[in-house]
Amino acid sequence: MAEAITEDDKVSIVSRFLLHAPPGEFNEVFNDVRTLLSDDTLLKDRLSGSFAQYNKDQFTPVRVDGAELAVVISEHNDLGRHRFFDPRSKRSFHFDHLRKEAKDVQPQEFDSKAESWRSAFEAHFSNYVDNYYKHGVCSVFSKYDAGVITIVACIEDHQFQPKNFWNGRWRAQWSLSFSPGSQSKAELRGIVKVQVHYYEDGNVQLVSSKEISEDITVTSENETAKEVVAIVLEAENQYQTGVSENYSTMSETTFKALRRQLPLTRTKIDWGKITGYRIGNEIGGKGDLK
Amino acid sequence: MQNEQQLDCALDLMRRLPPQQVEKNLSDLIDLVPNLCEELLSSVDQPLKIAHDKLSGKHYLLCDYNRDGDSYRSPWSNKYDPPLEDGTIPSEKLRRLEQEANAAFDQYRDMYFEGGVSSVYLWDLDQGFAGVILIKKSGDGSKKIKGCWDSIHVVEVNEKSGGRNAHYKLTSTAMLWLQTDKTASGTMNLGGSLTRQAESEAPVSEANMHIANIGRMVEDMENKIRNTLNEIYFGKTKDIVNGLRSTVPLPDQKQQAALRNDLAAAIKKRSERPDLKS
Repeated sequence: MAEAITEDDKVSIVSRFLLHAPPGEFNEVFNDVRTLLSDDTLLKDRLSGSFAQYNKDQFTPVRVDGAELAVVISEHNDLGRHRFFDPRSKRSFHFDHLRKEAKDVQPQEFDSKAESWRSAFEAHFSNYVDNYYKHGVCSVFSKYDAGVITIVACIEDHQFQPKNFWNGRWRAQWSLSFSPGSQSKAELRGIVKVQVHYYEDGNVQLVSSKEISEDITVTSENETAKEVVAIVLEAENQYQTGVSENYSTMSETTFKALRRQLPLTRTKIDWGKITGYRIGNEIGGKGDLK
Repeated sequence: MQNEQQLDCALDLMRRLPPQQVEKNLSDLIDLVPNLCEELLSSVDQPLKIAHDKLSGKHYLLCDYNRDGDSYRSPWSNKYDPPLEDGTIPSEKLRRLEQEANAAFDQYRDMYFEGGVSSVYLWDLDQGFAGVILIKKSGDGSKKIKGCWDSIHVVEVNEKSGGRNAHYKLTSTAMLWLQTDKTASGTMNLGGSLTRQAESEAPVSEANMHIANIGRMVEDMENKIRNTLNEIYFGKTKDIVNGLRSTVPLPDQKQQAALRNDLAAAIKKRSERPDLKS
C-alpha cells in the first residue's frame, strides 16, 4: 500500500484532475474529487484557483445581464478578485466559477488607445464566427503597452449532450502585437484546440490542437482586421480539413490493419477445429508409439 | 460506506478524465485514496505491457491477473519474473487448460490480428474457474499514424450439474489508440476504451469444450465491439467536431436547409392532393 502523501501533493493531484475535466463535465469531476478528498476546507482554501483556471482555459462563455452577446472567461479579461471585463458592453462583472454566473455588473473604465483597433477586429471576427460556427461565441480583447497594441481574439463553440453521453468543445485563440502607424510586419499567432468526449459504456476522447503562425503587414484598422480574419478562416479550414482527412486514413488504413473484421477465410473461426487440431496433434504424437 | 462511495467516485472520475493519460491518472488516484489501491488496480483497465519470457523465448502480456507482488507470471513457462518462490499458480488440471487456451487464442490472434501478442491466464474458483484473455497489437505507423489495440476479456465460468453444463459471464474491454502529428492537422490523439458484457449457458463434454465455448463468446463480442469502435471513433466523434464548426459559410447551409424544407413542403402538398380529390 502506498504511503500517505502530503497536503501539497493532494492539492496538486486534485488540481490536475479538475483542470483535465472534459468540456461540460466540470461539476461531475468536482463532485468526484470532493468525495475523494473529503476535506471541504482544503478544497475551498487551496483549490478555488483551479476552478477559475478551468473556466479561463476553457473560454467558458457567459451572458451578462442586458448584453446581447455572450463574453468568454479568459486570462485576457481577468480583472482580478473574480471580476471580468466584457469589452463589447464595456462593463465588468463578478463571475461565480462554480455556478458559472455573472453578477454585480458595473460600467468599466478601459484604455481607449487601442479601442479603434479592437472594435475593428471585433466586427470582422464576429462576422466570421457567425458564418462558420454553429453556436460560436467570440470575444476580442486589447492591451496597450508602451506604444505596442496587442489584440487577442478568443473563439469558443460547444455542444453538451450528457443525455446522449457526449460533449465537445472547439476553442481558438488568435493574437497580434504591433506598433500602429509604422506599416510594420507583425506575427499573427494562433492556437486551435478541439476536445470531444464520448462515454456511453466507455471513455473515448479526441484531443487535438494546432499552433499556427503567419506574418502580416499592419495597415489601417479595418484593412488589418480584414486580412487577419481571412488568414484565420483559411488556417482553421485547413486544420478542420486535415482532421477530417486523418479520420479517413485512421478508419480506412490504421484501424483495418490492427484487426480484421473476419479472418482471411471470410468465415468465423470453427472452434471445434481449433481445439480439435490440438488434440489431433497430441493423438498423432501418441501414434509414434505404435 | 464511505469506502463504497469513494470507489464509485473514483471509477466515475476514471470514466471522465482523458484516457490517453490513464496510467498517470490511476497512479495519482491511488496516491490520493491509497485505501482503494487493490480495488482500483483490479477494476481500472490499463494499456497492456509486453514482457519477454527468457525460458520460452516468447512474449507475453502483463496485467493485474498475472501479477503477484511485483512479479508477473508467463503463460508459456508458468514462471514468475522476477522469480517468486511461492507465487500463485493455477492447479495442475487448470494449468493444462490454460496451456490449451493459450495455444487456441494464439491461433485466434493470428487469424484476426495477423500479428501482436496474446496471453491467457486462468485461476481457480470454488464452483469452476475464471480467466482473462489478453491481446495487444500495435500498428506499423504507416501514413504517419500510430495505432494500437488492446483487448481484455475477463470470463467467469460457473460449472453446473456435475460439470455437464457451465454458465459463462464475459466482460470485455477493447482499447483503441490512434495518434498523429501532421502539418495540416496538428496533433490529433483519438483514444480510449469501450466495455461490454455478455452471459451464456452451454453444455460441456470435456475440458476442451470450455475453450470452444469461451472462444465463440470472445469472437462474437470482439467482432461486435470492433463495429461499435468503428462507428464511435470515426463516425460519432467526427460528426461532433463538424457540428461545432463548418468549413463552408453557414448561411449557405441555412439556405440549403430552407430549400430542403420548401421541397419537403411541396412534396407533402402534392401527396396530400389525392386526399382532396376523394
